[in-house]
Amino acid sequence: MSSTLIKCLNVAKTVGRVTFKNLLTASQNPLPSLRTTAVGGLLKCGVHTTAPVRNERLMEFFDDPKHWSENEVKVGRAWKPDELRIKSNKELHQLWYILLKERNMLLTMEHECNDKMEIFPNPERIDKVKISMENLETVVRERNKAYHLLETGETGERPQRQVNNAFGLRCTYKSCEHVLPPFMNTKWIKSRNLGYGGRAVHKFLLKYREKLYNAKRKAKNRSRNEVMMILRRNPNFDLELLKRKYADVDIDKLRKTDKTRGHFVPKVDA
Amino acid sequence: MSTRWYPIYQRGNPQLRVFLPNFWMKLVRPTEEQPANVVTFAVSTEMTKYDVKNYLEKIYKLPVVDVRTRIALGETKRDQTYGYVTKKDDVKYAYVTMPKTEAFTFPDIFVNKAEKQEKEEKSLDESKAGFRRFLDRNKKRPGTPGWYSI
Repeated sequence: MSSTLIKCLNVAKTVGRVTFKNLLTASQNPLPSLRTTAVGGLLKCGVHTTAPVRNERLMEFFDDPKHWSENEVKVGRAWKPDELRIKSNKELHQLWYILLKERNMLLTMEHECNDKMEIFPNPERIDKVKISMENLETVVRERNKAYHLLETGETGERPQRQVNNAFGLRCTYKSCEHVLPPFMNTKWIKSRNLGYGGRAVHKFLLKYREKLYNAKRKAKNRSRNEVMMILRRNPNFDLELLKRKYADVDIDKLRKTDKTRGHFVPKVDA
Repeated sequence: MSTRWYPIYQRGNPQLRVFLPNFWMKLVRPTEEQPANVVTFAVSTEMTKYDVKNYLEKIYKLPVVDVRTRIALGETKRDQTYGYVTKKDDVKYAYVTMPKTEAFTFPDIFVNKAEKQEKEEKSLDESKAGFRRFLDRNKKRPGTPGWYSI
């Protein structure tokens, strides 16, 4: 096996991490030399004062002094995933730290405003930064997944599987890494609640499945009634289109029913 | 350095590297008086002292000598009508000691707030007065356009 494949397999073993072959050092701190700012036109700049009590680097935790005691701060929107997909890995890495610092700054300002019982201008800025960071992470995870699948045939994500929990409902179980193998780790294995049984659980499942079935039945009836009304009001409707849109409805059977017949004399080809 | 799942570490494993750290940090005003080179942060409860130190040194380029942390229990409140108890989330405070040459005091952010409020109220009052004068001019001819005059 080549050395690159071994490296990839080692990478694949470390599940759940976001890593790239090209990025060598951890948490590179880029200066915001990029024009890609956190939100819209909000540029971060340090405050230059001669007072010895203001640390420039600590002032990065605060907003531009012009925005202090403002009631409104104009700001752009969040980053969309499509916009982030265009960017290179290095740029995304730099953007992540810009967003991180921006989030810290906004949280600091919010805390201080709440302390002093003043208005915190535009609290949606925090949500925008959060959404941008989530989108960035999805884009990075996509790339990571694709890379792992190409090189190793597995996604580099944390392994998960579908299990039944104690209620008898299906849920995703995310695996953990352990020092001891399962046959030695019986105490931990017993502490999990996978698998179900008992009279109460079965009664619950009966009622729950009845609920689900009722919802399904009503949805089916609803779509059937919609099709019947469409056919009644539009006798020459495109049947192929209807069949595509309402795949679960038997349209040929419905055409023979009385409810799809409109109040008119049908056209007969002589 | 993140809230995500870390793989297990056994001796000989490569060092864990987190490229997109997830943690947040807030600079807060200290409740008790601290020396000039001590800064108080409210931090995610999952952070350790080493995490805080590396975070500040690497991302904010701050020299850090020492970090002390404490977890403050969130407030519990009993609802008056229904009697149930709610609890706010716990907060971890990190007291970061910088070298003696550095100093920092928490700035006063709302110094100009009162002035700005006064200015805004004044401009609003002026515009109200202007509108009242306009109505006064046109009170003898209601219903006509405002520019109607000799």
